[in-house]
Amino acid sequence: MTTIVGIKTKEGVVLGSDKRASKGFFIGSKIVQKIAKIDDTLAVAIAGQLSDAEYIIKVAKAERRLMELRRGFQLSVRESTRLIANIAYSGLRNYQPYYVELLVAGVDTDGSHVYAADMSGAITEEEFASSGSGSPMAYGVLESLYNNEITNEQAKEIAKKAVSAAMERDPGSGNGIDLLAISNLTKEVVA
Amino acid sequence: MSESGQAGRFPFYGPQGRLVLVDSALEAVNRGSTTIGIKTQKFAIISSQIKPTHPLIEPSEKIFAIDHHIGATGAGYIGDILQLIDTLRLESQKHRLTYESPIDVDSLAKHLSTYLHNYTTYAVRPQAASIILAGADQTGVQLYQVDPSGTFFRGAGFAIGQASDTALDVVTKGYSADMTLQQATELATKAIEKALGEKPIVETGIVELGKDFSKTLRK
Repeated sequence: MTTIVGIKTKEGVVLGSDKRASKGFFIGSKIVQKIAKIDDTLAVAIAGQLSDAEYIIKVAKAERRLMELRRGFQLSVRESTRLIANIAYSGLRNYQPYYVELLVAGVDTDGSHVYAADMSGAITEEEFASSGSGSPMAYGVLESLYNNEITNEQAKEIAKKAVSAAMERDPGSGNGIDLLAISNLTKEVVA
Repeated sequence: MSESGQAGRFPFYGPQGRLVLVDSALEAVNRGSTTIGIKTQKFAIISSQIKPTHPLIEPSEKIFAIDHHIGATGAGYIGDILQLIDTLRLESQKHRLTYESPIDVDSLAKHLSTYLHNYTTYAVRPQAASIILAGADQTGVQLYQVDPSGTFFRGAGFAIGQASDTALDVVTKGYSADMTLQQATELATKAIEKALGEKPIVETGIVELGKDFSKTLRK
């Protein structure tokens, strides 16, 4: 169930999601937050088992903070995604997979990134990505509207359209849209 | 329990409140081969004296690649140095597995510091080796010295081993922030020669911004 989208832009990244939590044929919640901010520069959009995703995000958040304190600068988006993927992979190998497909999006010193990380532990870097039961519909919109010159504002519009399209036809998605944009780091001026 | 009398009977603090075994380890390092580290913003070099052995025996390697971007050297017992080098290599590869990125020099120095510090808290023999780490990471070129106590320093010039005071003097006087790689290599060799009063074989390792760690031929 769920529709989530992630879009990389020239200004940063944008994440979008619907707000429905399904319990079988019943709508369990209409106000679920599927976009979790890890910190100011990284966020994760969740599709799948919410409890599993919450756990992975909690661990990733702690590890990321710890690493930042220890080495003095933040983990890159790829490093963070690999960290998350390693947790997912260890679950898979222990026959207790985390039922999640996550979109990890953020900015670091070499720009903005969107990664898809699934329960197998695989990660792929994408310009735009979608996940959840509504993703085929969302991809249709993304494929026709995306180009790599768009701004965060334009990407928000595209994300909104993509999630809306999915909500029209996917019974697992609905009840409104959440959006989150993260802007690129501005280069520090060295005096 | 009386502390006075034979030092070393009680494995931890001596009468002056010093860690006797750690002091001894540092003393062993001070008898090791003279070893230099020099860093500027663009590069770092590590040079170590190779002690002559028998003509038929090949002398031990003293400059070690830790990962593509980091090299290390040390002074002290070669067996201890080699073991520490291996823990550094292991930690570098662990970082690659966990984060899919090369480890930064600071994390590596801290790991080594923690590792060595363990040997000062239990009734074991502290490792008789000081290590100099040189590498290039996201924060630029970095140079670290880590001592048997677990103390570590970040800086632009280090000397450890035999007559290291004299060697560090030479490095300090000859250092300039805009020196070339060639000049730094010569300065390191000069420092080792001045400290020892002879011209030993010196092995050198180089890290340059954006390039892999490399070793130069012995001369």
